[in-house]
Amino acid sequence: MTTPCPYSARHNGSSTGAPAIELKQLTKVYPGSSTPVLNAIDLTIPAGTIFGILGPNGAGKTTIMSTLCGLLKPTSGSVHICGSNAVTERATIKQILGMVPQEPAIYPTLTARENLEYFGRMQGLSGEHLQQRIMACLEVAEMVGEADKRVERLSGGYKRRLNMVIGLIHEPKILILDEPTVAIDPHSRSLIHHRLRELHAAGISILISTHQMDEAEQLCQEIAILDHGRVLVQGKVSDLLSMQASETVQLQIEGVPPADLTARLEHIPGLLEAHVAGQCLTVVAERPDQIMIPLMQAMQDYGLSVRSLSFGTTSLEDVFLSHTDGLGASR
Amino acid sequence: MDNLTKFWASIAKEARIIGRDHQALFLFFVMPVLFVLILSLALRDAFGDRPGATFDVLMVSQDPGEVTQSIVEAFRANSHILLTQSNTASEAEARQSLIDGRYRFVVLVPADATAQAERRLGEIMAKVPPELRMEKPVELVVMADPALRSDFRKVLEGSLDLALHGVEMKLGREQLEQTMRATQGEQFVALPNMEKSRLFEPVRGETVTRKGSGPTPTSVQQNAPAWTLLAMFFLTVPLSVSFIREREQGSLFRLQTMTVPPWVVLGGKAVPYFVINLIQMASILAVSVHVLPLLGGDRLELGNAPLALLLIGASASLAAIGFGIAVAMYARTTEQATSFSSATVMIMAALGGILVPKAVMPPLMQDVAILSPLSWGLDGFLDVFVRGGGVLQVLPEALSLLAFSAVCHGIAIMRYRSQT
Repeated sequence: MTTPCPYSARHNGSSTGAPAIELKQLTKVYPGSSTPVLNAIDLTIPAGTIFGILGPNGAGKTTIMSTLCGLLKPTSGSVHICGSNAVTERATIKQILGMVPQEPAIYPTLTARENLEYFGRMQGLSGEHLQQRIMACLEVAEMVGEADKRVERLSGGYKRRLNMVIGLIHEPKILILDEPTVAIDPHSRSLIHHRLRELHAAGISILISTHQMDEAEQLCQEIAILDHGRVLVQGKVSDLLSMQASETVQLQIEGVPPADLTARLEHIPGLLEAHVAGQCLTVVAERPDQIMIPLMQAMQDYGLSVRSLSFGTTSLEDVFLSHTDGLGASR
Repeated sequence: MDNLTKFWASIAKEARIIGRDHQALFLFFVMPVLFVLILSLALRDAFGDRPGATFDVLMVSQDPGEVTQSIVEAFRANSHILLTQSNTASEAEARQSLIDGRYRFVVLVPADATAQAERRLGEIMAKVPPELRMEKPVELVVMADPALRSDFRKVLEGSLDLALHGVEMKLGREQLEQTMRATQGEQFVALPNMEKSRLFEPVRGETVTRKGSGPTPTSVQQNAPAWTLLAMFFLTVPLSVSFIREREQGSLFRLQTMTVPPWVVLGGKAVPYFVINLIQMASILAVSVHVLPLLGGDRLELGNAPLALLLIGASASLAAIGFGIAVAMYARTTEQATSFSSATVMIMAALGGILVPKAVMPPLMQDVAILSPLSWGLDGFLDVFVRGGGVLQVLPEALSLLAFSAVCHGIAIMRYRSQT
C-alpha cells in the first residue's frame, strides 16, 4: 500500500512562463575529438511535463544531462533552464535542478537519514526545515523504518529510492533522472514510477534519460530520440505512436488454415492483402478497424479459433528502432 | 555563513565515515606507535649519544691490590658503566652470564695481578734483559657481548687500558721513590703525584653538523619524529582513496551539481585528516616519553618549545594533506592513487632521512635529501629535540612545508574547478 506523496505542490511549472528547459543549437565537442557529441541540438521541454530522452549508448544523453547541471560548458549554443542561462547563472540553476544520477550517489557507511541530512545541508537547508524535508523524503521513499540503517546494509531497491529522494531534498523545480530504475526490483520500480507521477502532479517538471522503452511509454508525456548527437524526433508520446500506426493486422490461429482462406478474405471490402505463414495470418487494410467484423466472421465460418490478434498502434520500441539504425540499445 | 555551515557539515560527515572504519583507525593510530616502539628499541644502540644509557659490566677479581682498585675507580667514574664485582665467579660462570645476556662486558683479573705487575716492574727497573725476565705482562681476560656495538666495546676496552696504564704509572712512581729514598736517604722529598695531575685538559669533542654544532640524535630522537612524519604522509593513501571512492560512488558528482564551493569539499576532507595527524603526533611523542623507557628504551626529551613542535607538526600535516588531495585529483582509480602515493612517500622518506638517517648518508645524498618535504619536517623536529631550538629555529622548515602545501592545494583546486 503506497502512502500519499507528502511532496508540496508549491511548484507550478515555471513561474516565468518559460519552458522548463530550452536548448538552442547546443553543440559539444570534447577536447581532442573532431566529432561533436552534441551536434546543434534544438530541444524544448515544456514546464510541468514528464519528458523522456531516449537514445542508444553514445547518443549524447549523459552529455546533455551534464550540460544541464552546469558540469560541462557547451562548445556553442545556449542552455536555458526556467529562463536562466545555465552557463552564466549556474548558482541559480543549481537551486532549480534536482539531479538523480544513475548509480546511487550516496555514502554507504552513513545511514539513510545522515545522507539526507548531509546533502540537505549542502543544499543550504538547516534547522527545523531540514528535519521536515528529511522526514518528507523518507516518506516519499517509504523508508522511515530504514532511516537509521547504514546504506551499505540496505537492498538495491532502497538505495535507488534514497538516491532519488536526495535529489528532492531541496524541493527543486526540475528533477533530472538518469536511468532511475535500471536493475531494480518490481516493487521499487513501481513505487518510483508512482512517486514520479505524483511529483509531476505536484507541478515538478521531470526529465528522464532512459533505455527502457516501456518505462518511457508508461511515464512520459513527451520524448526526444537522440542518436549520434542529434535529435531524431521529438513530440508527444501519443502522437509518435499514432504516426507509427500500423495498417497491418496479425492473427495467430489454432489449427491449420485452409488453402482457400486468403482467396475468401480478399473479397472483404477495404482489405488490400492477405497471406498465411504457418499458423500466422497477416492482413493489410486501409482501415484495419473496419475489416475486423468480416474478418472474424470468416474465421468463424471456417471453424478457426483465433489465439491472439494485434492491430492498430505499435510500441515505443518500434518507434525507437525505426528512428535509430535498428541496433538500438545493444550498441 | 552559509558556506561555513556546509564546511562544518562536510567535516562532520568525513569524521563519521572515518570513525566507522575501525580497520583504518587501527592503522592510523596503533601501527605508527608500534613502529616507533619496535624501531627505537631495536636500533637503540645504532645511534649516537645515549644520555642515561648504561652497560652492565662484570668484574671478577680476587686480587686485593692496585690493579683491581684502579679498574673499579675507572669504571665507576664512567656514568655509562653499571659495574658488578665478584670475587667468587669462575671463568666459565662469567662466560655463561655473558651468553645469558646478564652482562655485556666481562673482565677477569688474575688473583695475583698486582703482585705479578710489581715483580715484572722490579725486573724492568733492574734492567733485566727482556729475554731473561721471569715475569710476563699480566694478562686480563676480557669478554664482550657480540651485540655490543664495536665503538662502545672499544670505549670499554680503552677505559680498561687507561686504568691499567694508571697502575703502571703509580707502581712505577712508587718503585722510583723507593730507589731514590735508598740512594738519597733523608734528603729525598716525595715525587709529585702525577696520576692526580693532568698536563692536558680532558678531551671533549665538538659535534659539527650542517645545521651547526650540537649532539647527534639518539635512536628515539630520530625514530619518533621520523615515524610521525611517515605516518602523516602515509595518510595521503586513505585520503586520496576516499576522494576517488566518492568520485566513483557519484557523491562527488552530486556535490558538483549543488552550490558547494571547492574549498568546502576539499577542506571538509582535509580537516579530519589534519586532526588525525595531530593525534598521531601526540600519541607517538607520548609513547616515546612515557612508555619507551618502561620497555628499556631511551626516554624522548621533547625540548622546551611545545609551540615549535606544534608548528612543525601542523605544517608537515598540511603538506601531507595537500599532497594527498593533489594525488586524488589526478589519479583516475584507487589503485593508481594507492600505488603512486605509497611509492612516492617511500621515496621521499628514503631521501629525507626517515628510513636512513641523513647523518650516515654520503654528502651527495645529503644534498639531495633537501628535495624531500619529509626531510624538512625531520630537520624541524630535530631542531627542537636535539638542538634545543624554538619557533624561530623551526620557522624555515615550517614555511617550506606550508609553501609545499599551498602549491599542492592550489593544483588540486585548479584541477577540481576544471572538472566542473
